[in-house]
Amino acid sequence: MKKLFTVLAIIASFLAIILAVLPVSNLAIIPSILALVFGLLAFYLSKKTGQVKKIIQFTFFLTIIALAITTYKALFSITEVADTQELKATESQSKEEALEELEDLEIEDIDIDTSELEDIEL
Amino acid sequence: MMRFLFLVILCWSFTCNAQNTAIAPGEKLVYTASYNMSGILNDIAQVTMETSNVQTSKATLLRLKCTAATYSKWDNFFKIRDLYESYVNPKTLTPYLYKRNINEGSYFKAMKYTYSHKTNTIKSVQTKKNNQVQNKDFTFNAGSNDIVSTLYKLRTLDYETMRVGQQKTIHVIFDRKETKGYITYLGKETLNTAIGTKTCYKISIGSDSKALEGGNSNLLWLTADANKIIVFGKFKIPVGNGELKIKSASGLKN
Repeated sequence: MKKLFTVLAIIASFLAIILAVLPVSNLAIIPSILALVFGLLAFYLSKKTGQVKKIIQFTFFLTIIALAITTYKALFSITEVADTQELKATESQSKEEALEELEDLEIEDIDIDTSELEDIEL
Repeated sequence: MMRFLFLVILCWSFTCNAQNTAIAPGEKLVYTASYNMSGILNDIAQVTMETSNVQTSKATLLRLKCTAATYSKWDNFFKIRDLYESYVNPKTLTPYLYKRNINEGSYFKAMKYTYSHKTNTIKSVQTKKNNQVQNKDFTFNAGSNDIVSTLYKLRTLDYETMRVGQQKTIHVIFDRKETKGYITYLGKETLNTAIGTKTCYKISIGSDSKALEGGNSNLLWLTADANKIIVFGKFKIPVGNGELKIKSASGLKN
């Protein structure tokens, strides 16, 4: 049982570290909690037998690092859209092409009050 | 993201020709799209909806533009830069030209619909990677809309006159197919949003297509005012579920 909990704690703590450094850092919370639970159980069982392995302490260390990274990213990382030059170029090109295509279309039933449009910058 | 936008936007085309009193040129709505991963919501992309006027020699049309772009932290994993446009009659939101440009990692697809309302036909041009062009003409039912104009058209509905539980049948053209959808008015709810506390019309969207899961899993909340902007959305598709939350709104008509 002690071995099982130790192995599970190791797996969970490594998974927590991997997820913490990925964009899905929020997901690291789940393996972190599992790593802590398994680690504590392994620690308790080991203490009963009087021999606590260093690896259990190492899983705690990894878990704390994972939680620290996750918390930092949740609090301080800004979600922003970057590299939109290509999209803007596509938008502009698409609009130009659309204007040409619209000129060739038969547009009927449009009766616009142009007084509303005079203030609009085109 | 295609499916995501589809489900967020997917809904109806109304058989009645509602007049637009809610949408003006110069409007800009910015949303955050989140996807549920193992029970935890992750912000993945920014969805922007903008309107502007387009002047041709014959008329002034309203350009409805939707863009979806992944946040920079996701760009190395799957970069999405999608553009959806519809050029519509500013009063009735009847579409004349629809364009879609999908750029998702290594996947590229462009689609163009040119409407002929006299013959109820659409000339479509699909372009895929390596310039694979495919032309197809197909007919559509009067009152059917593309996905972008549909999204805006739902803002022209008068929800005040609808009963709770009242359902409407709608028709949306997506991927050169007309899909039958259903909208159910579920009443009013008050939500706390990034643009303040808003009383909203809550509606449910369903369809015959497999893109959306059944039941009341796909929901939209529109402000219960003259602008009727979408402030919150919940969706469920075969590959998961997520949310759409408003981030900012500017240039509103009312």
